[in-house]
Amino acid sequence: VGRPAHQALDEIKSEVRRKGAVTAADEARAASAAGVPVASVHGAVSYYADLHQPRGRRHVRVCAGTACFVASGGGMHVAQVADELAVGVGERSADGAASLQPVHCLGYCFGGPAALDGTAPRVGADVADQIAGRAAPRTPEIPVHADTAPVVLRGVLEGGAAWQTWPAVLERGGAKRVLHEVEVAGLRGRGGAGFPAAQKWAAVAGEREGGPCFVVANGDEGDPGSFADRLLMERDPSRVLEGLALAGLACGAGQGFVYVRSEYPQAFESLRAAVSEAREAGHLGRDVHGSGVDFDVEVTSGAGSYVAGEETSLLRSLAGLRGTVRPRPPYPTRYGLLGRPTAVNNVETLCAVPAIVSDGGEAYARRGAGRETGTLLVCLNERFARPGAYEVEFAIPLAEIVERLGGGLRDGRAMRALQVGGPLGGFLGPTDLDLPLLESALSRAGAAVGHGSLVAIDDGVQFPDLLRHFWAFAARESCGACTPCREGTRRGAAHPAEASRDESLLHVMGVASLCAFGRAIPRTVRSLLRAYGRDLG
Amino acid sequence: MRVTVDGRPVDMPAGTSVLDATRAAGATVSTLCHDDRLAPAGTCRVCLVRVDGDVVAACVTPLAEGMAVQTDDAELVEDARRVVELMVERLPRTALDRSSELADVCTRLGVSPASFADVGRGLGSDSSHPYIELDRDLCIACGRCVRMCDEVQGTFALTLVGRGADTVVDTGIGGPWFESACVSCGGCVDTCPTGAISDIRAGTLPASQAVTTQTTCGYCGVGCTLDVHTVDDDIVSVRPARDGKVNRGHACVKGRFAYGFVRSPDRLTTPLVRRDGRLEPASWDEALTVVAGELYRIRDSYGPDAIAGISSARSTNEENYLFQKLMRTVIGTNNIDNCSRVCHAPSAAGLTAAFGLSGGTNPADDLDRADCILLAGSNATEAHPVVGARIKQRALQGARLVVVDPRRTELARLADVHLRGTPGSNVAVFNGIAALLIDEGWTDEEFIAARVDNFDALREQVGEYTPERVEALSGVPAAALREAARLYGTTARPSIIYGLGVTEHAHGTDGVRTLANLAILRGAVGTARGGGVNPLRGQNNVQGASDMGALPDLLPGYQKVSDAALLERFAAAWGSPLSGRPGLRIPDMFNAALAGQVKALYVFGEDILQTDPDTNHVRAAVDACEFVVSQEIFLSETAAAADVVLPGASFLEKDGTFVNFDRRFQRVRPALGPPGQARTDFDILRAVAEAMGGSLGCGSPADAMDECARLAPLFGGISHRRLDLEGPLHWPCRDAGDPGEGRLYERGFSTATGRAQLAARPWLPPGEQPDAEYPYTLITGRRLAHYNAGTMTRRTANLVLAPNEHVDISPDDAARFDIADGDRVEIASRRGKVNVAVRVTDDVAPGELFMAFHFPEAAANLLTSDGVDEVTACPEYKVTAVRMRRAHIG
Repeated sequence: VGRPAHQALDEIKSEVRRKGAVTAADEARAASAAGVPVASVHGAVSYYADLHQPRGRRHVRVCAGTACFVASGGGMHVAQVADELAVGVGERSADGAASLQPVHCLGYCFGGPAALDGTAPRVGADVADQIAGRAAPRTPEIPVHADTAPVVLRGVLEGGAAWQTWPAVLERGGAKRVLHEVEVAGLRGRGGAGFPAAQKWAAVAGEREGGPCFVVANGDEGDPGSFADRLLMERDPSRVLEGLALAGLACGAGQGFVYVRSEYPQAFESLRAAVSEAREAGHLGRDVHGSGVDFDVEVTSGAGSYVAGEETSLLRSLAGLRGTVRPRPPYPTRYGLLGRPTAVNNVETLCAVPAIVSDGGEAYARRGAGRETGTLLVCLNERFARPGAYEVEFAIPLAEIVERLGGGLRDGRAMRALQVGGPLGGFLGPTDLDLPLLESALSRAGAAVGHGSLVAIDDGVQFPDLLRHFWAFAARESCGACTPCREGTRRGAAHPAEASRDESLLHVMGVASLCAFGRAIPRTVRSLLRAYGRDLG
Repeated sequence: MRVTVDGRPVDMPAGTSVLDATRAAGATVSTLCHDDRLAPAGTCRVCLVRVDGDVVAACVTPLAEGMAVQTDDAELVEDARRVVELMVERLPRTALDRSSELADVCTRLGVSPASFADVGRGLGSDSSHPYIELDRDLCIACGRCVRMCDEVQGTFALTLVGRGADTVVDTGIGGPWFESACVSCGGCVDTCPTGAISDIRAGTLPASQAVTTQTTCGYCGVGCTLDVHTVDDDIVSVRPARDGKVNRGHACVKGRFAYGFVRSPDRLTTPLVRRDGRLEPASWDEALTVVAGELYRIRDSYGPDAIAGISSARSTNEENYLFQKLMRTVIGTNNIDNCSRVCHAPSAAGLTAAFGLSGGTNPADDLDRADCILLAGSNATEAHPVVGARIKQRALQGARLVVVDPRRTELARLADVHLRGTPGSNVAVFNGIAALLIDEGWTDEEFIAARVDNFDALREQVGEYTPERVEALSGVPAAALREAARLYGTTARPSIIYGLGVTEHAHGTDGVRTLANLAILRGAVGTARGGGVNPLRGQNNVQGASDMGALPDLLPGYQKVSDAALLERFAAAWGSPLSGRPGLRIPDMFNAALAGQVKALYVFGEDILQTDPDTNHVRAAVDACEFVVSQEIFLSETAAAADVVLPGASFLEKDGTFVNFDRRFQRVRPALGPPGQARTDFDILRAVAEAMGGSLGCGSPADAMDECARLAPLFGGISHRRLDLEGPLHWPCRDAGDPGEGRLYERGFSTATGRAQLAARPWLPPGEQPDAEYPYTLITGRRLAHYNAGTMTRRTANLVLAPNEHVDISPDDAARFDIADGDRVEIASRRGKVNVAVRVTDDVAPGELFMAFHFPEAAANLLTSDGVDEVTACPEYKVTAVRMRRAHIG
């Protein structure tokens, strides 16, 4: 599929890796080779953190996510790593030896703080020592558990092979079967918005009118705090691909993409390898298994933008453009990649699809509660006694996750607050956990299921630091398209306490921001104030 | 759809937005990132309204049946104010010193100057461009400039850069504006709501002090509606009118910016009379006495046909009407022609023969519906930039684009298929496509049976034009020809647009006919199934000059002088006997002058010594005349050679109408008075007639139009009053109740049989072909920043944008001559030579060269030949055999 601007950005990425930075001449050359306006390349380079920050010969990405922030008592590890490298945060040393880029996040919330030295993970309380070479590098495996019969973890925990459902569906049932089972299952998007997957695919199938359409696995929704997507993409990439293929079949798409955040280099490699294997095994390509169906997948990498997890931003990024958000409608199901109908589904959503189709949707629908059916991967950070990823059924009480699964906080620490659903979810006080894991219940409490992350915060972090940390994240990742979010996060980063008290600012960000990022910021701020008893009124 | 806005019911069409509904209801909703010319972006978040209780941005919220829209609650206004306050927090307070949308919105919402910063962010400014200035500190990152550049102009010269609060506009190259891809259309200036991008010369003059005059652009034939803003008889800015029927709020570097010539110090401000070989200032009395005396003397000595007049395609219809009336009545000759002779005479002849009327068949708006555009012999993005931009946008939106051009123009690079034939191969290519349409069954048989003549003859003729033979004749690969035929032949609403690359050939009329064949075969003309065949007219009023009868064989409204009854009617109306003998065409006038038959030339607003082919030949003709009058605004090459020079007025100083390329009568209104003693050409022509003891009647341009309307049935319904009231009108417009006919022939063709005429014409070789002595083919044409003889544009800062002429040469040929950009070469033809710098570009094919004729110091027309179209005598500007050698420096 021709995405010339993306091709130009790939060229830029390799130049950045090679030389550390690109010049106007590099941009012009890449644009000209791909046949796109240089403006499109220049605008994109300036947008993505990975492309415009100059790189040293040694490039270290240090996690600035909430879990690592909490793990190091308020983000101390960032300064420590900076000291070791003798470089400022977000800078390259004068001699070009090293550079340090803060990122959100690397998906080691269960064992952080974390950094990537090049593409090599360095994880643990002694991350700065590891970077300095004084301590042995550590790359802990994600602890994985199922609290219920696994669906998305079937491969990871039980060794169940992927690509079992796909040939069977191609032989019998086809798109109708996929749509039917997924609809019966009531599978909803795991990225946070909770849109019914079958409805999305039916919309794409209905809009394409015989023309091309696309399916995209969104591997950039790993909210800081969640490592579910990284787990699935690294440890069971074939299941992600199989889910994507089934989604493609349901939509009538001949081409799928997996968009992997650049902070997950291992996931990118695993998926690439899985695509090659799948092609060799005949699961992808033309006339797959003699069915007459063509389907192939391209794995592509982001370039450092949290908002790229939002689907309109992701599609722009996938096309090689600035990853700013655009208003919906039109929804991508009508106007997506290259202007064609496109289904964007979260990695975890897709991972559930093979099991749902092979077991039948009813089995899945019996789990969970009400419209929130099935299972979810929840992620517990390193403050817990038993951190890791747990597949649970919806409606399990939060307190049970915290106590029974997580074992409470480790070393007898006291929980001060629990961040649920990622940076734009919400903070709950330790006494507010008598809630079922359901969007309906959590949203009433000022939080969200989001991507299923639970970040426990203890007394090692002070409230003002947490507030500043949050606003800094919001300002760094705001795409800048709309005024309330662009200017509101700027104010918040400059004056966190003042902005957090500014009800008119929070109100206008909440009602007038263009996308869920800006709209969710006030809820998060208010929940944080509430959790810390700072209701200011 | 019925919705309510603040409780009031409004009926809205489907596909509209909530913002549209609020406007229809008369509610005030402030916007900043919105511009009707652009797709809504929904990013500034100022247009907040409540829809069924939820706060939404009105501009990006589609309207749905039954919606209850609330715009007027206090909380919404408060929210919008807070959004704007956030937006301006880092803008310097000086942002309010200029009139802008932002300043208006601040006033309306009650955002106080105290909300602004004392000083800006220090992001820097860019004033590298002669017309456009960027002050990044005033940028609110709304992206309108970027979208204007992308969605309307199609140049992609701008981008937003950075992320979050660092977002700001920048050039696409990240460097100086002047070095960017900007084509200076001014779209970004016109849309910028804050003044971050501004017209460098407009300064901070409050718009309230300016007088606005709406008029029609005087450059190319697109016919853009412009708003001219003046203060004290000086232009402060020119902006495209948002409601301009053709340009829809867009313009180009010429119409938008190149008006400085109008107050150039070397404007002619007094008549000049040649005394002792020198042109010297004279009074109007003296000049008119000389003109009248000399014309009388020559008419009395040699007869009226010893006088010839060349009318001005740059002037108004009313002036052209007067000029032909002057020549036909007061002087008594049909020796009147206009420069359509040297550009689109083959269109007039070809389109009349094929369809019946002398003009393009469809309105420009049909481009919006075209799913395939066949663009032949036109570098539209430079020569007709506003239409070029529309073609580009259509192609970007998915319409298929076939370009027939020896040069790799901007649109050729974008095309699905570029048929790059050798100059002079059009007829072979068009016949080849016709053959494929017939062979592949892509013709509209029902249409052909019902509405077309000569199909069998055509089928027989084109049968021999197989793709392989066409490849041999033209160099166009057979596969490309097949693909082009497939695209034109299988799309639902194909449209043909063409330019001088079709007409300015030895067989230009055949080119037009064989191109028209394609639309006829497809049933894509005179139906809703296509956009017909449309010439891009070169000059603002070249259509009108011919419409008004500035032609040797045709009276106003294309009525034949050879028709005795008609002539009688005109003679009665004009109160003067008229000659029924067709007069001389422009090239024939020069030949006749050299042969001693023409003794006087009256050249009105035309620089024949720069723009007509074979300049040495033209100069000899001028020299051979006993008396030459030039009516001009500058001392052009022709004026300098004249015996009397009468100082006329520019389009910005006159009252009347122009007819654009799609047959639209549009009003021209004076924004300024002529400088010094210069007069409007309308007044001059009346004065000349009076000095000769005659009278042209027509006290005002409006009277002249009324008189023309009474005499020319095609324009019977046109009047200034109606144009002022209703806006532009297409001709034919036969009476006051006729809305005008944009799309022609839907009820039948205007030919004698009422049927479209296919033309079976063979390809014939061009008049001049490269040979061993002159091995290169020179093509001439226009460049973006300049216009024709450059008389106007070279007196503006467009000269900074394009300071001189160069000859385009292919990399292959450059290597062969071991020359690089800027090296000088001598180009020689059988008639003359020029010394010019080269520009190496793959725009031109090996063996071909390209030059414009905008600069007298690189006078391409010293080289061009006297070869002409065998039907209309239109010169073969597009094919000149030349040789080239390195020029000796110094």
